[in-house]
Amino acid sequence: MTSVTPPLLEIRSISKRFGATQALSDVSLTLYPGEVHTLLGENGAGKSTLIKIMTGIYQADTGEILLDGHPIHLRSSADAQAHGIAAIYQEPLVFPDLNIAENIFISHRKRGRIVNWGKLYRDAEAVLAKLDVSLDVRAQARGLPLAAQQTVEIAKAISMNVRVLIMDEPTASLSAHEVEQLFKLVGSLRKSGVAILFISHRMDEVFRISDRITVFRDGQLISTAPASEVTPESAIRDMVGREMGQLFTKTPSKKGQPVISVRDLGREGVYSGITFDLHAGEVLGFAGLVGSGRTDVALSLFGIVPADQGQIEYEGQAVRIHAPRQAIKMGIAYVPEDRRQHGLILPMTIAANISLPMLKGYVNRIGIIQGRGEAKTAESYRQQFSIRTPSVQHVAGKLSGGNQQKVVLSKWLNTKPRLLILDEPTRGIDVGAKEEVHRLINDLAQQGIAILMISSDLPEVLAMSDRILVMREGRQMGIFPREAATQEVIMTAAMGQAANAERIGS
Amino acid sequence: MKSLRGLLHLQQVRELSLFVILILVLLLFGSQIDGYFSPRTFSRIATTVSIIMIVAVGQTIVVLTRNIDLSVGSIVGFTAFFIGQQFGFNRDLHPAAAVALAMGVGALAGMLNGFLVAYGRVPAVVVTLGTLAIYRGALVEYSGSQSIATRMLPDWIKELPQQTVFTIGEVEFGALPVIALVAVILFQMILMYTSFGRRLYAVGSSTEAAEVAGIPARRLVFTAFMISGALAGLGGFVYLARIGTITAVAATGLELQVVAAVVVGGVNTNGGSGTVFGTLLGAVLVGTIEQSLIRMRINEFWKDALLGVFILIAVTTDSVMMSRLRTWWAARAQKAHKREALSAPTAGQVEA
Repeated sequence: MTSVTPPLLEIRSISKRFGATQALSDVSLTLYPGEVHTLLGENGAGKSTLIKIMTGIYQADTGEILLDGHPIHLRSSADAQAHGIAAIYQEPLVFPDLNIAENIFISHRKRGRIVNWGKLYRDAEAVLAKLDVSLDVRAQARGLPLAAQQTVEIAKAISMNVRVLIMDEPTASLSAHEVEQLFKLVGSLRKSGVAILFISHRMDEVFRISDRITVFRDGQLISTAPASEVTPESAIRDMVGREMGQLFTKTPSKKGQPVISVRDLGREGVYSGITFDLHAGEVLGFAGLVGSGRTDVALSLFGIVPADQGQIEYEGQAVRIHAPRQAIKMGIAYVPEDRRQHGLILPMTIAANISLPMLKGYVNRIGIIQGRGEAKTAESYRQQFSIRTPSVQHVAGKLSGGNQQKVVLSKWLNTKPRLLILDEPTRGIDVGAKEEVHRLINDLAQQGIAILMISSDLPEVLAMSDRILVMREGRQMGIFPREAATQEVIMTAAMGQAANAERIGS
Repeated sequence: MKSLRGLLHLQQVRELSLFVILILVLLLFGSQIDGYFSPRTFSRIATTVSIIMIVAVGQTIVVLTRNIDLSVGSIVGFTAFFIGQQFGFNRDLHPAAAVALAMGVGALAGMLNGFLVAYGRVPAVVVTLGTLAIYRGALVEYSGSQSIATRMLPDWIKELPQQTVFTIGEVEFGALPVIALVAVILFQMILMYTSFGRRLYAVGSSTEAAEVAGIPARRLVFTAFMISGALAGLGGFVYLARIGTITAVAATGLELQVVAAVVVGGVNTNGGSGTVFGTLLGAVLVGTIEQSLIRMRINEFWKDALLGVFILIAVTTDSVMMSRLRTWWAARAQKAHKREALSAPTAGQVEA
C-alpha cells in the first residue's frame, strides 16, 4: 500500500539545536495515510522535539515539512491545526469546568459569537458517533476517566478534520481495558485515512499496533523499518547503542556496613515493592524511563512525600521518614532533579544557599548569623569543586547550570550526609562539569558515603554504579550487578521485556 | 550586611528611587501649599505615619512569605478599644502591662489567621478577609455600642503623643514615631541577621526549595502572622494614645494604607524580597501624600483615589523592573555558561 500512495506528511532533514545540545540532527520521516508509525527512543532521544516542531511549538533550524507534497510553515500550534496536524498527550489537556461538547469545539473559531447550545450538542454527538463512542456531551469534563478525556481530545482533533494525529504516550496512564478502547479508536482513525505518529514505551503495544517503527537515539534517526522486520531485541539495540568511551568510570570502593535497607516500600498508586540494601561506599544506580517512579522513591526516602507501605531500616534501626528535617538529621541528603525549583533559592547568595540546611550551625548565642563562618564554608567548597564565580557573595541565580549544581552539592555535603541521594545529577550541564561531578561522586563513595543515583543517562548509570536497580511503571524490575549490566539489559528491563533479563533480586 | 549584599543590591536601587520620589513629592506640595516646609508639618507627618508604620512592619513580614494580612485594621481597632476599656476598669494599669496586653491580644488574633493559612491551607486573602469582618464584628458586639472616651484614660497615655524624645534641628520626634522607629530597626535587624529572617526570605522565594532544605515553612508562615497580629496590637495601643476616642469603627480601612506602604516600599507581593526600611520609606511616602492632600483640602474621595494610583504605579514599576532584571540575569548566566563551555577541555568533542 505504502509504495503506491504518496506520503501525506514528509519531514525532510530537520535539525534543531538548543544551546550546546543538538536535539535533532538531519531527521527525515514520512507518514502515509492510514498508517500507524511508531517512534521509539530513550528519554531525550529527540522525540518530543520532533513533535513540538510538527505541532508548531518549536521551529526547526534547518529542513522542511511537506504536506501532500507542498512545503508548509508551522509558526504556531494554530498553524498546525489549520493544516490538520494535532497531538494528544499522556495527560489530556481538557478544560475541567467545561462540558464535553464545549471541549470538543473549544478551538473552533467559525461557530459565531453566540453559542447555539442545541447545535453544539448535536454536532458533538455527531463527532462522537463517528468514533463509535457514547459519552454524555452535556457532562462536565471534570471527573471523567482519563480514557474518556483522551476520547474527547481525539474527538476534538476529528472535529478539526485532523489528517495527522500525534499520540504521545497515550497509553501510559491507562488500564488494560482502556488501552483496548483506545486501540479500537486508533483502528477506526486509520481506516478513515488519518496518519498516526505513535509514541509508547510499551513494546507489546508497539508491535501490536504499528505498521512501521522508527528508532531515535541522541537526536538522530537510527532506523526505519516495517514492524514485521523489527524485533523488540533489535529495536532496543538501536535505542541504546551509545558511545561509552570517554566517560569517567567509578573506581571500586570498599563496601562497608549497610546504611539503608528498604523492604517492600510503596506508596499507594505511585510505586510498590521496592526492596534493596545500600552499603557505605556503594553507588546504587536507579535506572528506568521518566515517570517510572524513581524520583517518587527518592522523595519518600527524604521524607518529602512519605511512603505508606513497607519498612525502612537506617543504620540498623527501623525508621519512618516523614519530613526532610528529620531526614537531614539522620544524615540523608537529597540533590533534587530540578535544581532551579527545588535545589536553590535563586535570589540568595551562594554562601547563604550553602548554609541554609545547617543554618543553626552558623548562629551565635543570641541567634545572629555569623556571615564570616558562612563565607568560610562556601569559600572552601568553591575551591574544592572549582565553582566558577568571582565571589561566594554572588547571587546563585546568576550561575550557569553546572556551577549551580556544584552549589547544590556543596550545600548538601555540608550537612555531612551518610546517605546521598542524587536525582539526575548531570542533567543539563556541560561535558566538563559532568566529568567533575562524576569524579566527585567517586570521591564521595571512596570516603564511605552511600550513594543512590537516579539517572536517565544509561552510560552514566553503567559507568558510575556498583549495582543498578531498574524500575518500570512503579515497580522494581530487578537489581543488576555492574558486571552483568549492559545498556541492552537495563533498557530491556526498563521497557518491560523482563523475560530476557537475568533477574537478580537483593 | 555583607552576606546579603546580592539580595540587597536590587532593594537599594528601589529604596533610592523611593527616596527621590519622596523628595519630588515634598517639592511638589511645597510649591502648592504656603508654609509647607515648617517643622510642624514634619512632626505631624511623623506622628500620623507611626501607626501605619508599626502595623506595616508586621505586614512586611507576612508579605515576604507570599501572603497578606487584611485583618490588621480590625485588630488595631479591637485592641485599641480593649486596652481603653482596661484603663476604664483599672486606671493604674502599668504601661508595660498595657503594651504587653495589647500585643498579646493582637498576637492571638494573628495566630488564628496563621493557623488557618499555614495549617488549614486556606489562601491568606480569604482567611484575613474573613477575620477582618469577624474581628470587627467582635468589636461591635464586645463594645455594645459604647465608646472609649479620652477622660477614661490615665494622663500618661494622653500625654504620650506630645512627649518629645529627641529633636533634629527644629523637627521634634515624639514618643509615637520613636516607638515606630524602634520597631522598624529591630525587625530590620531580625530580617537581616538572624536565621529566622534568612528562612523567611527562603520560604518566600521558593517554598518547595525551602522545604527540601528542611525549613519548617508552615511554622514560619504561622509565626509571620502572629508577629503581624502582635504589631497590629501595638498599633492599637498607639492608636489609643493618639486618638483617645475609640468607637466600633476605629481604624476601619487602615489595611489599605498599610498594604500601600508595604507595596510602595518595594516588598514583592510574590514574596521573598523587600525590606523593613523599604516599608518605612513607603509608609512615609503614603503618610506624606495623605497629610498633604488633607492640607490642600482635597476631598476625601480624591485623596483615596490618588493613593490608589500611587499603589498601582509602584506595583507596576516593580514588576516591570523585576522582569527586566530577570532577563538580564538569564543573559548573564548564559554568557557565563558559554565562557565555561569554551574553557572546558572536552567541549570540542561535543561540537564535533
